[in-house]
Amino acid sequence: MLASVWSATLLGVEGRLVAVEVHVSNGLPAYNVVGLPDAAGRESRERVRAAMLSSELEWPLRRLTVNLAPGGLRKTGAGFELAVALGLLLASAELPTDCLESTGVLGELGLDGSIRPVHGTIALVDAFRHAGLQRVIVPAANAPEASLVTDITVLPARTLGELRACLKAELPWPEVDTSDVVFAADSDPDDDESLDLSDVRGLRLAREALEVAVAGGHHLLMVGPPGVGKTMLARRITTILPPLDPEAALDVTRIHSVAGDLASGRLVTRAPFRAPHHTASTAALVGGGSGRPTPGEVSLATHGILFLDELGEFSPATLDALRQPLEERAVRISRQSSALTFPADFLLVACSNPCPCGEPTDRCRCDPARLARYRRRLSAPLLDRFDVRMSVSPPESNDVAGESSAVVRERVRAAVDRQRARYAGRRWQRNGALPAGPLRREVPLTGDAVDAWREIIRRRALTGRGAAAIRRVARTLADLDDTARVTAGHLGRAEQLREDVP
Amino acid sequence: MSATASGTMRMFPPDVTDDERVAAAVLVGLPSMTPARLRALFAAWPDARDALAAIRAHDPEVLTVLRAHVRTTSHTDYVALVRRWTSSGSWDATARILAARGTRVHLAGDDDFPIEEVVPKRPEVLLIEGEGCDALRGPRVAIVGTRAATPHGLRDARELGRFLAQAGCAVVSGMAIGIDGAAHIGALDVEGRAVGVVATGLDVVYPRRHHVLFERVRRHGCLVSESGFGTKPDASRFPVRNRIIAGLADVVVVVEATIKGGARITAERALEYDRPVLAMPGSRRNAAAAGCNALLADGAHPLLDPSDVLVALGMTPGSRRSWEPRAQVSGDARRCLDACGGEPATVDQLASRTGLPLEDIARCVAECERTGLLERSRGLLWPR
Repeated sequence: MLASVWSATLLGVEGRLVAVEVHVSNGLPAYNVVGLPDAAGRESRERVRAAMLSSELEWPLRRLTVNLAPGGLRKTGAGFELAVALGLLLASAELPTDCLESTGVLGELGLDGSIRPVHGTIALVDAFRHAGLQRVIVPAANAPEASLVTDITVLPARTLGELRACLKAELPWPEVDTSDVVFAADSDPDDDESLDLSDVRGLRLAREALEVAVAGGHHLLMVGPPGVGKTMLARRITTILPPLDPEAALDVTRIHSVAGDLASGRLVTRAPFRAPHHTASTAALVGGGSGRPTPGEVSLATHGILFLDELGEFSPATLDALRQPLEERAVRISRQSSALTFPADFLLVACSNPCPCGEPTDRCRCDPARLARYRRRLSAPLLDRFDVRMSVSPPESNDVAGESSAVVRERVRAAVDRQRARYAGRRWQRNGALPAGPLRREVPLTGDAVDAWREIIRRRALTGRGAAAIRRVARTLADLDDTARVTAGHLGRAEQLREDVP
Repeated sequence: MSATASGTMRMFPPDVTDDERVAAAVLVGLPSMTPARLRALFAAWPDARDALAAIRAHDPEVLTVLRAHVRTTSHTDYVALVRRWTSSGSWDATARILAARGTRVHLAGDDDFPIEEVVPKRPEVLLIEGEGCDALRGPRVAIVGTRAATPHGLRDARELGRFLAQAGCAVVSGMAIGIDGAAHIGALDVEGRAVGVVATGLDVVYPRRHHVLFERVRRHGCLVSESGFGTKPDASRFPVRNRIIAGLADVVVVVEATIKGGARITAERALEYDRPVLAMPGSRRNAAAAGCNALLADGAHPLLDPSDVLVALGMTPGSRRSWEPRAQVSGDARRCLDACGGEPATVDQLASRTGLPLEDIARCVAECERTGLLERSRGLLWPR
């Protein structure tokens, strides 16, 4: 007897349809899984058997073969177990033959017959929808997340016994609780209400740098001695980020769901803020790792901030691995059998000490060789990616608190909208992503701005990249001022945001 | 010996033969030769040829002389060393190298040896290369300081080097990164004379980063060493080298020095040799000025103006001229400069202290940079 049930597995952040075929035949009792399962898949026997027995269902003492098709695709995780169990029930005529018509099945089984949640529900359900399936059975805990995918009926399942009854129409399907799927930004449990930009005294240029970075999507490097407030500033960057638009929110939720760190399975509407420690491995930062390739911090920071504190302490190899995602806004991971692409469209915010001794620059005691070694850790190509670089100094005694986050956030939101409108239909949506080629056309200079521009390039002896960065940042400053023209004043301010640090 | 080399050699006083100089160069180039060992040999055999002959002849006196003068090495080590000496150091090869490189060998016994006899532990032999050897005849000023100099210190050293070179002084220093290099460059800027005293062999360029500077000094001054060809940089040789800088100079100027460092050793040697020492005062916040301030507290003359050096040299009765005329700037730019208070600052600090809008600060900073009143370095704005 043969039964086939639709399930799905993850490949990167995409779902792939998998047909779970269960064959029951005469012969010595056995249970084999074929079709490139991982260790979790091969272990499924004990869980499926115990779950069926706990649910007072019969475990056929016959030769059972489970095939996961297509055979060439490597499958990961225990998410097929529910499909296997349902396949067995179909094969033993415990369920009506057509009850799983056009239905995808996801779920891991517990020994007591309970149905456990899986990673990457959105991506998997999306794969079912693309394949034209009409219904999907998901673990109840994943149901709210699954319901974010439109045009497919979500059927939540709590236990195997209950699911069997529902499929036989002996019980009604449980309701999907969607009340808290989409939530307002201010109800985020991760939100630390106590942070606000008004906590920061003085540091007007540093505040401007933060605002510009967020508004224009310019990568930001802050250099300064320990304790001057670099980290304090960076932590407050989340308070001026505009909320994610619906499309971005779904993207972010999907990636975090695949990584398995989606809190309570709801839509993420706040831009992520990822702050990996400087001991993070290259795989942790850019993704990959052994076994199933998982998204790294750069992907988890998509549509949000990747904050690297103590940039100079990261291993040079790890930092160099950042260059490709910064350039392409995606991470490519090549494996023997497949090449995956993870999104990595993040804003890089980094802090660094000016030198290894950590003293303020004018009191630094480092000898030149040690200093040169420290600076070499940050390669020139990486430093070139930072449009905004600045020195942060301690506040002065007469400094007063600046604007609150709410005021800045409004300005940022308006600037982002301006850029969206201006760049509609372009490959880039933000000034920070503006390539050097079309820069001259996209950011025209007129009148005294032209002279100011030439004077800056000459005086600072700027390279092409440095000059382009200043022009892009000037455009963002103009957007924040809500003006169409980039003036000499904007260029002058932009120039101050381009220090030769460290 | 080639014609060029004998031409060079003829410049030496007639009473000392060329053979003696070659012998001295051979001695200097022996393995593990140190200034102290060389001094011991010359004390026993004033003529280098005799010393070399004694070594070649396995004279037991060599061992006795070395043991008597330098006791830090064990007897067995000396036996091994002297045995190595007997078989190394080729006369012909040394003569060939001296001729090919145009190296001059100055012996302590020469009348025109640049360091006078009263200086304790003066080198017995100096190897000198370069087209500006006349630098060692006129007034000489050593400008020394830390390698970890601030942009302020570098600028001061360069300006001082320039000023002294224009006044006709040769600038003596150690060719190191930081103050040393800046002082040499200052002198070379105005085509003055630079004397670089190195702690390696004359055929070794250290630090590598200064290879261009080495070439320039060779062309417009000279390089001086008491070590044989091929001697690699070694931490122990630098403090010993510093006594030559102090010895060659008529006046020693310390521009920026850390509390512990080679520049202070040079200053101490200079005091020992009865040379005037001038130190440039700095902020107590500046770690790179702490050594200078300590020297001042110990009684060094403060250097407030370049002409102070000329006063110390006895070249001028004491008139003061300012460093360089100040450029005229707008009122706001002047406010920004005053807000620096002579110390490096960030744009944020200028904004906080003046209360000006960022756009105006940007304009003022650009104006000051244009007129050279502010300099951007290491992420800060440095007033000059």
